This record gives sequence, C-alpha cells and structure tokens, in this order.
Amino acid sequence: MNLILALIKRDLTLTLRQGGGAGTALGFFLCVVVLLPIGIGPDQALLARIAPGALWISLLLSVLLSADRIYQQDYEDGSLDVMTMGPVPFEIVALAKSVAHWLSTSLPLAIAAPILGFLVNLEPAAILPLAIAMVVGSIALSLIASIGAAVTVGLRRGGLLVSILVLPLYVPVLIFGLSASQPNAAPGLTAASLLILVAIALAGLVVSPLASAAALRSYLK
Amino acid sequence: MQFLANPTRFLRIANAVLPYVWAITVALFAVGLYGALVTAPPDYQQGETVRIMYVHVPAAWMALFVYTVMALASAVAAIFRHPLADVAAKTAAPIGAVFCFLSLATGSLWGKPMWGAWWVWDARLTSMFVLMLLYIGYMAIWAAIEEPHRAAMVARVVALVGFINIPIVKFSVDWWNSLHQPASVFRMGGPTIAGPMLWPLLVMGLAYALLFLALHLTAMRAEIAARKIRQIQIAEIGDR
Amino acid sequence: MDFSANHIGFVIASYALSVVFLASLVITTLGRDRKLRAEAERLDTQRKKARA
Repeated sequence: MNLILALIKRDLTLTLRQGGGAGTALGFFLCVVVLLPIGIGPDQALLARIAPGALWISLLLSVLLSADRIYQQDYEDGSLDVMTMGPVPFEIVALAKSVAHWLSTSLPLAIAAPILGFLVNLEPAAILPLAIAMVVGSIALSLIASIGAAVTVGLRRGGLLVSILVLPLYVPVLIFGLSASQPNAAPGLTAASLLILVAIALAGLVVSPLASAAALRSYLK
Repeated sequence: MQFLANPTRFLRIANAVLPYVWAITVALFAVGLYGALVTAPPDYQQGETVRIMYVHVPAAWMALFVYTVMALASAVAAIFRHPLADVAAKTAAPIGAVFCFLSLATGSLWGKPMWGAWWVWDARLTSMFVLMLLYIGYMAIWAAIEEPHRAAMVARVVALVGFINIPIVKFSVDWWNSLHQPASVFRMGGPTIAGPMLWPLLVMGLAYALLFLALHLTAMRAEIAARKIRQIQIAEIGDR
Repeated sequence: MDFSANHIGFVIASYALSVVFLASLVITTLGRDRKLRAEAERLDTQRKKARA
C-alpha cells in the first residue's frame, strides 16, 4: 500500500514540477469555453441550452489531450521496465498511474468546469449536478485515457490513433454524464444516469488496469 | 479449437473446403438476388426502396458477427496463445470493416428518400458508426506496430476492450435517443415481415455469411503464407 | 422490379455500391492469397536447393 502511495506521489510530483500537467489541459479547457460563445454568438438562451454539453465535450477533449503523458515518459526513460520487476503487481502500477492522472488533470478540470460554466451561461440549478457528474465521470475518463495511452505508448505518432481508439469508449461516458447533469429532467432520471455513470467508472476500475498492463507489457518485452 | 490450432492441419482443411464454400456462396447469392430483385413484392409504404434492405440488413448483421468472431479469436489468442487465433482476428477485421461500411452507406442511401436526410443521429446509426471506429482503430494498431508478435498482443487488448464496449454503447445510445427523440423514426424491416420478403432476406444473410467464411479462410491462408515468407527471410539473414 | 418507380436510383446505387465493394474485396483477397503463396513456395524451394 505504501508503495502504491509512493508511486502516486511520485507521478504527482513529476507533473507538478514539470509544469504542463493540469496546466495544459486547463488552458485548453479555457480556450474552448471562451472561444465557443465567440464562435456561435452571444445568444444567452442558446448558450444556456448547450452549456452542459459544451462543458462535457471540453472536459473529454482536455483529458484526451493529456492522455499520452500517463506512460510516455516512464516508457522512454525505462522507469516502466523497472516497475514491471518491482514487488507491486503491474496492473496496480497502471492503476496508480491512472489515479495520479486523475488527481493531477481530470479532477481539477472537473472542479473547474462548473465554475467556468458562468462564461457559457450555465443555469445555477445545473451547477451541483454537473459538478457531481463530472467528478464521477472524470474517474472513468482517466481510466479510459490510460488504456488509450498504454496501447499507443511505443508508437511515434500515436496521437491520431489514441483519438480513434478512445472515442468509442468516451461515447457512453458523455451520454450518461450529460444526462446526469440535467437538473430539470424527469424525476429519477438524473439519479439513474448518475448511478450508471458510477457503474461505468467501477467497470473501468477493473478493466482499465488489466488492459493497460497487458498492452504495456507487450511493448516492454 | 485445439484441432484447428495446428497451421498445417488448418491449411489442409481450408484447401479442401474452400472450393465448396465459394460454390455455395455463389449459388446462395444467385438465389438471394433473384428473390430480392424479382420475386419479392415492393412495400406498400416504401415502394421499391425496400429492396435496399436485402443488401443493407445482411451487411449490418455481418458487421456485428465479424466483430464477435474477432473478439472470440482474440480471447482464444490471449488465453491459449495460439498464433493462428491472432491470424484469424487480424484477417477478419478488414472484411468486417467493409461490411460495416456497406451497411452505413446503403443505410444512408435508404435514409435519403425515406427520412429526407443522408444521415440521422438515430440509435442504430450511431452504434454502427462507433462499430466502424472500432474496426478502424483495430486495423490501425496492426498497421502501426511493425513487430508482428507485439502488434498481436496489443491488438488483442484493443479487440477485447472494444467488445466489452459495444453493448455499453448500444445501451447508452438507446438511452440518449429516448431522451432526444421521443417519436421513433420509421424503422427498416421490423418484426412483422411477410414471407415473400423474409426468405430473400434470410438467403441473402446466409450468402453474406458464407462469403465471409470464404474470404476469411482465404485471407488466413494468405496471412500464413506471409508469415512463412517472413520467417524464411529472417532465417536467411541469420544464415549469412 | 419496377425501374420507373420513385427513388429507383437509390436502390440501384446501393446494389452497385455493395457489388463494387464486395467484388473488390474478393479480388484483392484472392490476389493477395495467390501472390503470397507463390512467393512462399518459391522461397521454400530456393532454400531447399541451397541446402542440398
């Protein structure tokens, strides 16, 4: 357990010291949220209608943008090779790195999103459900990003491939995330969507470390 | 499975079976197309446009079926480490992608006169589109990784994760569709389909399935030859 | 089949598209199979000759 915490702490320190990290993703997020109203016009009613969707899509894309940083550096400098031989099962290593990515990138974005929602005229009643849904959804997003990053870690031009591979996995998260962020939907619908979102995150918690570790191992051999 | 795992035995069986499979495929297509274009009546609502169904629905069935084959082969490869299973998964993907593309394209050609739009974000269309992306991603992995053994291992992960994802996407897209589109769009076919229209559809479905079998066996045979060439070339470099 | 029906172009187009794609898939698959097996055969005999 201490070893796992040490792994997470190491990754967090690395991203924080190197800058970038959450910064790049947050900057991208801000760009989308600012450019969107400029692109589609300042109509308040229209903005309010598309605000949750726009925020979710920005979150998805920002996490996707930062996905390759989960394993890339450790693969290139050989740290991952060492970790396969360590006492911690490699699946747990993959999980720890996903958790670090979540803490350093997805979670800050999920917290910042409802606040930035003011820029796109998000209705106040939607702030709380959106925040809850995004925190849960961001777990799933980081876990999915981990699979995409692991599968393409040894490729020089993995960028396009990550998008194609990750997009189908993002679709359910977006749908249920969005449906859990609607404050004035039919009663019970928001709660049900949130529960399904939790289920997706939990499923990701099982599948993602297994898949990521298997993909990474094939590159390390 | 164990019986077919030996490549030599597989090749012997494939060589023996293939001519018959091709012959049956051609015969089924002849019967199916005759039924679809000649004997099947035009629909009272859709008119002649209903005939698109006979090429569209089998393609969609096969797109799903081929991905299932791919995922099963990947699972067998991951569990039993049979190299032939990787060959089966790899060669199935392009065939499935063509079926998937055809189901999307013919669906679009049906949708334009019926719905008035080439593309509608309907639940089925969206799931099919996602399936197409899964095929593309899977093939891209094989293309991007040079070393075949490594490519096979990564591709297994991609195929299996995608397979888990398909039902989730289907479920989520249905959910999303019910939120955004309360009135259902006019669906193709439907459960109550009359006999004169049903049998050509089933024959065409069978013809597509046998076409897949024939193509898949041929492509696997070619892939085995490709690996043999690679082995010989590597051995020659070693000899020098 | 009635060739003067409404939207008949869409029906013909979808059949044509299916035929073109499936036929080219069959041709490329058969071509690849033939080429690769001939190549493997050639290399194999060449190698056996070199050994003998």
